[in-house]
Amino acid sequence: MPLVALVGPPNAGKSTLFNRLTGLRQKVANYPGVTVEKVVGRFTAPGQGEVEIVDLPGVNGFSARTLDEQVTRDVLEGRAEGLRAPDALILIVDSTRLEPQLMLVEPVLEIGVPTLLVLNMADELAAREGEVDDDALAEQLGVEVVRANARAGDGVDRIRTFLTHVAERGPLPPRPCPVISNVTRDQKGLSLPVIDAFAARRRHIREVGRKSEYRPPQPSKLTQRLDRVFLHRFWGPAVFLAVVVLVFQAIFTWATPFMDGVEWLVASSGEWVAAQLPEGWFRSLVVDGVWMGVGSVLVFLPQILILFLFLGILEDSGYMARAAVIADRSMYRVGLQGRAFLPLLSAYACAVPAILAARTVEDERDRMATIFVAPFMTCSARLPVYALLIAAFIPDTPILGPFMGARAATLLGLYLLGALAAVATAFLLKRTLLRGSPSTFLMELPPYRVPSPRSLALRLLDRSKIFLKRVGKIILAVAVALWLLAQFPGGPMDPPAIEDSALGRVGKVMEPVIEPLGFDWRVGIGLVSSLAAREVIVGTLGTIYGIEEADEGSIELQAVLQQHLDLGAAVGLLIFFVFALQCMSTIAVMRRETAGWKWPILQFSYMLSLAYLGAFVANWLI
Amino acid sequence: MKLPMAHPEGYAGPAAAVTELSLAQVGLSQEVELVRIDLPAEEIEPLLERGVLPGCRLCPVRFSPSGDPIVMVDGVLLALRKETAGCLCVRRPDSEEAA
Ligand SMILES: Nc1nc2c(ncn2[C@@H]2O[C@H](COP(=O)(O)OP(=O)(O)OP(=O)(O)O)[C@@H](O)[C@H]2O)c(=O)[nH]1
Ligand SMILES: [Mg+2]
Repeated sequence: MPLVALVGPPNAGKSTLFNRLTGLRQKVANYPGVTVEKVVGRFTAPGQGEVEIVDLPGVNGFSARTLDEQVTRDVLEGRAEGLRAPDALILIVDSTRLEPQLMLVEPVLEIGVPTLLVLNMADELAAREGEVDDDALAEQLGVEVVRANARAGDGVDRIRTFLTHVAERGPLPPRPCPVISNVTRDQKGLSLPVIDAFAARRRHIREVGRKSEYRPPQPSKLTQRLDRVFLHRFWGPAVFLAVVVLVFQAIFTWATPFMDGVEWLVASSGEWVAAQLPEGWFRSLVVDGVWMGVGSVLVFLPQILILFLFLGILEDSGYMARAAVIADRSMYRVGLQGRAFLPLLSAYACAVPAILAARTVEDERDRMATIFVAPFMTCSARLPVYALLIAAFIPDTPILGPFMGARAATLLGLYLLGALAAVATAFLLKRTLLRGSPSTFLMELPPYRVPSPRSLALRLLDRSKIFLKRVGKIILAVAVALWLLAQFPGGPMDPPAIEDSALGRVGKVMEPVIEPLGFDWRVGIGLVSSLAAREVIVGTLGTIYGIEEADEGSIELQAVLQQHLDLGAAVGLLIFFVFALQCMSTIAVMRRETAGWKWPILQFSYMLSLAYLGAFVANWLI
Repeated sequence: MKLPMAHPEGYAGPAAAVTELSLAQVGLSQEVELVRIDLPAEEIEPLLERGVLPGCRLCPVRFSPSGDPIVMVDGVLLALRKETAGCLCVRRPDSEEAA
């Protein structure tokens, strides 16, 4: 099957087009550097043939200074594992910045395979009164040119026609792998002819632009207006703060009705199931074990979705790039650069994609520091733990009138604590293990775009699926395992008191270690099981209390927690979760991205020590 | 290692040197022309790739809250640090006639 690669500068709309052609849903967002790994999809031509399409990280050139740029280069040169060299290319550029983006044309055409040039964002070009003569451009460059709006789907039919031709023609015969001419790297570093080469390329493009009557578009009015506020000396940071407060308040207030709904659903369906099943061990497994465990995590779906709604709006609007600019100075003091801020922000969703996204950070030591501290940023898996403990132990008193309550403030405090730990750790690392000055900061600011409700809705849908899958797999498995452990010795017909069961004994073994933190054996079990994933502790506590208090009917997790933990221990537990690296996926991806166990082990032990210390101090003080 | 860039044809000479200034000294909305980049080799490349080449027109359009310039190059908004801007040697286009 022939392979077609999507090449282009960052943020040109490659992934948007890829999603349209393949029906997949790769992440799309309005800032440069979203895609950091090759992704393969399939396009079925209307006739019968098929082509494979590979979406690539955006590049401005082919000198592969960062790991993501290296991925693109490897694929184009046919050196990527498991992929043939591309049989055709789609070069997709943002037509509102046509001239600088066309700097890629020359090296891409040198690869010597059929190429289609897509002038994307045609809607914005027209709206801002830019013009270009496609036919003249095609003639000047010697490639087929298509104007498109990948987001709305205009012009995509002509791209499909191109792919259909590729499918009919079939794979190219084997040939020597192309090597992309790399004008910028010789052994002696950058020499004058290189600058001349760039300048010559630029002159050529300018000439092409002139001959194809390119008229650059007006600057985006919306962008000028919004930047006046968002990058304002005073209003910029103020708006940033206001948005953050709004998010946290929303997580607690907006989510409540939905959470009540889910809770009611879980409880009533549990009762219904209990009524259907005969009394016995199976009912105990299903109702006390599974329903309590899974249900107690499920309730937090609305809060997680609200977080992702806000993150989605920030990412799709173009605000993220501005946030990186605002943060750059502080990052610089720490020893990192503003670019590292984008992966760190995305770690608020999950550390795993954040660690991958750090590939866009140029300097290797900076990248290491970034991925080392990324797990300190509060990922969405911590949210259920925080929300549960805060709702149980922090009263709902207003602080800033209706704008912020004590609960939202506590949540904000926990997020800040995590961010502070990240900053302090990066500062330490950059002065010890990863010494080096921060590299320069250079960032294109994309125009603001109105996030499309459809894409936001799809994001939330995908997020719900991921969440439900996790609940269905990990949390269900843990609940069943815990229930089983709680049946022995004695067996399900005659289960022991939970403290004497195998489960209870495991917990008791841990008790001396965690007692100084104020935790009892149940929390100990939760800490162990949450090594798989953080939110598992919520399910675990649900299952343990469910089994323990099976006679009471459906129990309220918050109420039981209040009986079993004092305030000091609760705060200690919160702080433990701020710091500790309880996430198998993060450890696995760390191992892959650092090619070894050294960093993940160091990271795990460092974070665990901080967590223990933090929880100890909290429990001791309160 | 610092590698000064060659003056593109016609811009060299004492007259040009007098009117040269760094991008950091340029006020808002003043379009200037890039003459030279005084940065180490590995830091020049990202600039070149984005079309920041000798002879191109730059225009600071805004300062970030920390005072770093955001410049318009070829219709693209590019955020730099003031340290970087201080290494971009520019001249006012109107001095062209004078030279
Ligand atoms: N107005 C408009 N916006 C578009 C169009 N195509 C893509 N976008 C938007 O442009 C932004 C970037 O799109 P992506 O598909 O993520 O860009 P990419 O080229 O994959 O970017 P990287 O992965 O960072 O290299 C998103 O906000 C899209 O919604 C278009 O034709 N018109
Ligand atoms: Mg992409």
